[in-house]
Amino acid sequence: MVVKDEVGMNVSVMQENLARGLGVVGRAVSSRATLPVLANVLLKTENAGLKLTATNLEIGINCWVPGKVTDEGEITVPAKLLTELVSSLPNQRIDLQFSAKDRTLKVTCGGSRSSIKGIEADEFPVVAAIGDTPITSADSRTLREALGEVVFAAASDESRPILTGVLTRLAGDRMTLAAADNYRIAVRGLALASPVSPEITIVVPARSYAELMRIMPDAEEPIEITVTPNKSQILFHVNGIDLVSRLIEGQFPNYEPVIPTGHTSRAVLDREAFLAGARRASIFARDSANIVKIEIGGEAAEGVSITAHAADIGDAADALEASIDGQPTSIAFNARYLIDVLSNLGAEQAALELSGPLAPGVIRGVDKDDYVHVIMPVRTAS
Amino acid sequence: MTRTILHADLDAFYASVEVLDDPSLRGKPVIVGGDRGTRGVVMAASYEARKFGVHSAMPIRTAVSLCPTGVFLPGHPDRYRDLSAQVMRIFASYTPLVEPISLDEAFLDVTASREVFGDGETIGRALKQRVLDEAGLVVSVGVAPNKLCAKVASDLRKPDALVVVPPGEEATFLAPLPVSRLWGVGPQSRQALADYGVTTIGQLAVLPDGTLRRRFGSHGHDLALRARGIDPAPVVPWQAPKSIGHELTFERDVDDPARLEATLLDLAESVASRLRNHHMAAGAVQLKLRYEGFETLTRQMRVPLQTRESEPIYAAGVALLRKTLVRDRAVRLIGLTAIHLTDVQQLTLFDAPDKTDRITRSIDAVRERFGEKAITRARLVGHRDRRRFGFGEKPELPPDADP
Repeated sequence: MVVKDEVGMNVSVMQENLARGLGVVGRAVSSRATLPVLANVLLKTENAGLKLTATNLEIGINCWVPGKVTDEGEITVPAKLLTELVSSLPNQRIDLQFSAKDRTLKVTCGGSRSSIKGIEADEFPVVAAIGDTPITSADSRTLREALGEVVFAAASDESRPILTGVLTRLAGDRMTLAAADNYRIAVRGLALASPVSPEITIVVPARSYAELMRIMPDAEEPIEITVTPNKSQILFHVNGIDLVSRLIEGQFPNYEPVIPTGHTSRAVLDREAFLAGARRASIFARDSANIVKIEIGGEAAEGVSITAHAADIGDAADALEASIDGQPTSIAFNARYLIDVLSNLGAEQAALELSGPLAPGVIRGVDKDDYVHVIMPVRTAS
Repeated sequence: MTRTILHADLDAFYASVEVLDDPSLRGKPVIVGGDRGTRGVVMAASYEARKFGVHSAMPIRTAVSLCPTGVFLPGHPDRYRDLSAQVMRIFASYTPLVEPISLDEAFLDVTASREVFGDGETIGRALKQRVLDEAGLVVSVGVAPNKLCAKVASDLRKPDALVVVPPGEEATFLAPLPVSRLWGVGPQSRQALADYGVTTIGQLAVLPDGTLRRRFGSHGHDLALRARGIDPAPVVPWQAPKSIGHELTFERDVDDPARLEATLLDLAESVASRLRNHHMAAGAVQLKLRYEGFETLTRQMRVPLQTRESEPIYAAGVALLRKTLVRDRAVRLIGLTAIHLTDVQQLTLFDAPDKTDRITRSIDAVRERFGEKAITRARLVGHRDRRRFGFGEKPELPPDADP
């Protein structure tokens, strides 16, 4: 390794690769950083390429960009400026040169020459990389689908911080994800490639998982998973990208007792049709606390009806085809919760299981026993 | 045109609901209000219990000694509310002019419905049948040309009564009844009337106007009209309020944010308490600020979920205040209003359902009994400013007050 004070760093990359890498790590750049260096991206030569790193202290992302390293070195520069500059350049070779003397990164591409003032790399927080020994791995496509079915159910307001996270349990060869916001809960299980023992239970910020979903490939590739020994961070590695997230401390509510174990009425519906019906009803529900009423059997004897009523506006009623079992019943939900689960559920057919107007309602995918979603009803006067 | 007014009154409502839900209680003296040994009062007694002399508002202790074999129950307020709503919906299917007086009684103006459903007696009979068939409850109905006579009629031959007062016979109907049956005749008036030798409504009706006016003032005139069966009061359907708010004008303009926030807490408590009385929940909160010099602003924001608790309403108020308040400008008036009201309540997964609920219910109960100022937050002690009441609100008339 050659490190010259005068030169600092010298690396060449393709514009397309650098632009993609900056796009990936850009999600972790703080937009309103209290530390100026957090608005920067760290560029570091590593493993015969260029490693880009950004962090907002909640998550950190490393992304490796293939390149030709002439001199090893590292520097941080404002992420927004570099990203805009790179995306404006043609898809050609870009030479990045850093001079330690004036802490400036020179960006050369064809006839274009720019220089960007930076901050020294040692001011940048350390973002861990996953290393060579992940504790387990999962299928990337399956994990992405599972996160999609769970993450939206986490709380968005901070009144109970633990509920802004997703309970993540690695036990044996199963991973369980659960998110709840006090009015609904989503739980999904999936397989791990290698067993984890003793089991690990942590709470990962839902925002971190949302970022992970964006950078994960929708492909059958293994995604490596590690939890730091002190259980303060979780790390994922896939496709030359690391995502590191801090964890939320505290006790996630014991959700298992609130998941109904039986039901008195069940309806199986086409998920898309159910979703469309819920969306139509919600248009009318907007001014009445977003409440839609669902009836299984009863007056809509052949199936399920979704209705909404707005005192000054009008009503909507959708009769949906469904195969129904058990007693006629009705329930009222906040339409948003219904729309959320139906638009994220990875199943063609949805099953709605009820036990009366004031008991929790359950939505599952038909032939999909690794997922359960519970929505608490709304008590209405009528 | 002669009006047709119905007064419908569910017989021994709470006790009947308990019997409905537990048929083994049928025929037994059922007393709702609290278990034996509790300090509550009787909220309802079945007709079997009334035979022992038990009646509403009597201390449970007294009821136990009168009726030692009675079945004493704490009651199920939510169940009563649900059944009441169901019965009120049946009423509303005959006329839009339904004025609920409490959970178990209502006035109906069916004048315009006669064309469709038949005369008052026919409607009364149909109503009784439907309430029995659909809710399993017995309702007594009075039919008369006005509210006064309808109310007296429904009460006359309880339970399961249907009493009709034909137009023109109001005075004759009332004449033999004791004066205490009339609205506004309490023990004192009754005593005063007895001094004139008046014990029946008929005797009251023929008393000269001047005598009544001298003895009872303007109230005397009303008494004379009522005694003749005249009552022009309209049936006023209850309407859900569109907003519930309180505001306070300071005696001296205030620029101390801490004092403004404390005032907001006070306002939030009142707003939340009224929301609970109305069984409403707020979807958003509006803050009103008037600076010195009468410049007035309102700002509003949604609350995460419909609420009837003071905490989220206060939190929204403070958030709005911090965004809105201009430093060093003195505030003359501050107001907090709950808007986007609904009568729904989102149930929760993890909250111990009744803990805050129990606390707020207890607070509401203390306030109802001992007044607004009887109980307050430690934070508000010494901070409470005098409130100006009557802010843009119709008088309180909840469809159903909590028992």
